Amino acid sequence: MKPHTLAAHPVAVRRRRPSVLARLIERVVHHYAGLPVGVVIALIWANTAPDSYFAMAQSLAFVVNDVGMTLFIGLITQEVVEATMTGGALHSWRRWSLPLLAAAGGIAGSTAFYLAYVQGQYEPVLLTGWPVAFAIDIAAAYYVLKQILPRSGAVPFVLLLAIATDVFGAFVIAPRHPTLAAHAGGAGLMLVALGIAGAMRALKVRTFWPYIVICGTLSWVALYQDGLHPAFALVPIIPFLPHQPRRLDLLADPPDDDAVHHFEHEWNAVVQGVLLLFGLVNGGVLLRGYDTGTWAVLMAALVGRPLGILVTVRAAMAAGWHLPRGLGWRQLVVAALAASSGLTFALFFAAGILSTGPLLAQLTIGAIGTAAGSLLAIGAARLLHVGRFSKRG
Amino acid sequence: MRRVAFLLLAGLLTGEPFAPAAENAARVPGSAGGRAPSPIEALPDRADSLKFAVLGDNGTGEQPEYDVGREMAALRASFAFDTVIMLGDNIYGRQDPQDFVTKFERPYAALLEAGVAFYATLGNHDSQNNRFYKNFNMGGERYFTFVKKNVRFFVLDSNQLDPKQRAWLDEALQHSTEDWRICYFHHPIYSDGGRHGSDVSLRVALEPLFVKYGVNVVFSGHDHVYERIKPQKGITYFVSGSGGELRKGDVHPSGMTAAYFDQDRSFLLVEVAGDDLFFEAVARSGATVDSGVVHRERPETRGSR
Repeated sequence: MKPHTLAAHPVAVRRRRPSVLARLIERVVHHYAGLPVGVVIALIWANTAPDSYFAMAQSLAFVVNDVGMTLFIGLITQEVVEATMTGGALHSWRRWSLPLLAAAGGIAGSTAFYLAYVQGQYEPVLLTGWPVAFAIDIAAAYYVLKQILPRSGAVPFVLLLAIATDVFGAFVIAPRHPTLAAHAGGAGLMLVALGIAGAMRALKVRTFWPYIVICGTLSWVALYQDGLHPAFALVPIIPFLPHQPRRLDLLADPPDDDAVHHFEHEWNAVVQGVLLLFGLVNGGVLLRGYDTGTWAVLMAALVGRPLGILVTVRAAMAAGWHLPRGLGWRQLVVAALAASSGLTFALFFAAGILSTGPLLAQLTIGAIGTAAGSLLAIGAARLLHVGRFSKRG
Repeated sequence: MRRVAFLLLAGLLTGEPFAPAAENAARVPGSAGGRAPSPIEALPDRADSLKFAVLGDNGTGEQPEYDVGREMAALRASFAFDTVIMLGDNIYGRQDPQDFVTKFERPYAALLEAGVAFYATLGNHDSQNNRFYKNFNMGGERYFTFVKKNVRFFVLDSNQLDPKQRAWLDEALQHSTEDWRICYFHHPIYSDGGRHGSDVSLRVALEPLFVKYGVNVVFSGHDHVYERIKPQKGITYFVSGSGGELRKGDVHPSGMTAAYFDQDRSFLLVEVAGDDLFFEAVARSGATVDSGVVHRERPETRGSR
């Protein structure tokens, strides 16, 4: 028998190989795959043992959707705040005006398709679900474009478009959160939270913990008391944290030199865990629960939004705007399709405005189905020879 | 249809109960079939009982809805119900004022003129504004409760079961003192309908309350068929969603199916007398397609077991 090779080496020199589970978790975190993994588990569970799945989902819904998602929304807010700072991608109006117009066009296109489809099918109870139709999955759009057009202006263009769209959606859904009872007094508590955050900023507190724990908690209670969606609790707090401007193409790999980026690093793995739970709690639907709402969301996201974006950009160009450098019409078509996946935000908006029942199920299936938008973008890139599918290689 | 009408007329003239045609008889798993009783026979029609009809997914404004309305009015001559509970999708398609005439007021004109009160719940095809329509007696609410004799009805909006509605139901059931507790809403939590079937997410949210507070019977629509479910945790469930719409042959019977009928439109007649709830499912031809009785266990009896 061959002697063990390790015997010749000191044990301390050899690094332990991470376990399969550890490597799997690392991959999930690195590739922002928490949500899809959660959704796949949920779909299998719901369609094989529905009673136990829905019992689990309904018992965890509040903790995951209203508490855990606070961190995810906080991270997205951080993206926006840094992008609007001097040197950030949203700072100059020339930079953000075209994606912003495109976002408005995408929202209008999705909403028009959704409402037209629902009205055409005479299902008025579904009208309330229109925000689900225009939500954009920021991470999905980012990764698809990173694969197809890694160094073009398409990535920041679509990221700006997606963030503006979802911020608009947040304003729409926050007051429509189905809470048990709303109480007055939340506004006062919010003022206290903002006052403490302002004082900490004035005292140059650079660690993020007090902002998140003290002010974030007060803000969460304030929103909940007022019947607003408490997952937005960190939105008014994040701007008080010290920041650096952001170029928006560094979504998954920020620098590590200020309080907010420490916040991001510290919480990235946790947020991925939250997203996995979010997918698990919200992604499980009986597949035969598809109905009018499903088709309405799919039509709106996969057809209405790209059309709305393209038409608006065309109109803006006619009015004197210019496409970002390196972005032609073929690339724009691919970018618009990359923005058609609503997954995370569509699920979040659906869970934020609808309660247990068949309407939520229909829209959830539609939201998951919009993941097909990523495939459409890749297909269009191949067809139009865009980016990595370019004939020039 | 003409043959059924002839048989019905012949039965009335000769005094013999009408035997339904084979294609109209309920399909009862494990049953060899046999002659179903006439509407009059299956219900005791006691003087002091509560009598009501159950109608779901009816508001098409098309001929079958009118046929069902006519049949209901005809049967009322011998079974004088004064209440109809509507299980949702009360008005399909456009919901303009004229639609309320053609899809509701005309098909049930005879019943409305006789003073029969309709109590509706909202289906997925109903506008939320329909709760303000006076003939639906919803008092402007998505969910509400009302009492008829010894029965309390709980009417839910199953399109979405928000936390407020669930908390309301919890409290309303808790404070109910009537002998019978009957819930109705549009989407069934038990159904063998092939198109929709059981809504398990609703079931998980509602069933614990039904069991906890002793709900006796639950009516739903949505699947365009008639089905009676074997008691689940002591509660009898009915799907009656073919008052106007029909999805022919859509029931896929399972171990929980007690009886079903998916060949034509139908509605239910119900009589609550003491501790018994008698029911009879009637096709638009007038044929009885299912009948039986649900016996209420008194709380003290239940507790002693």
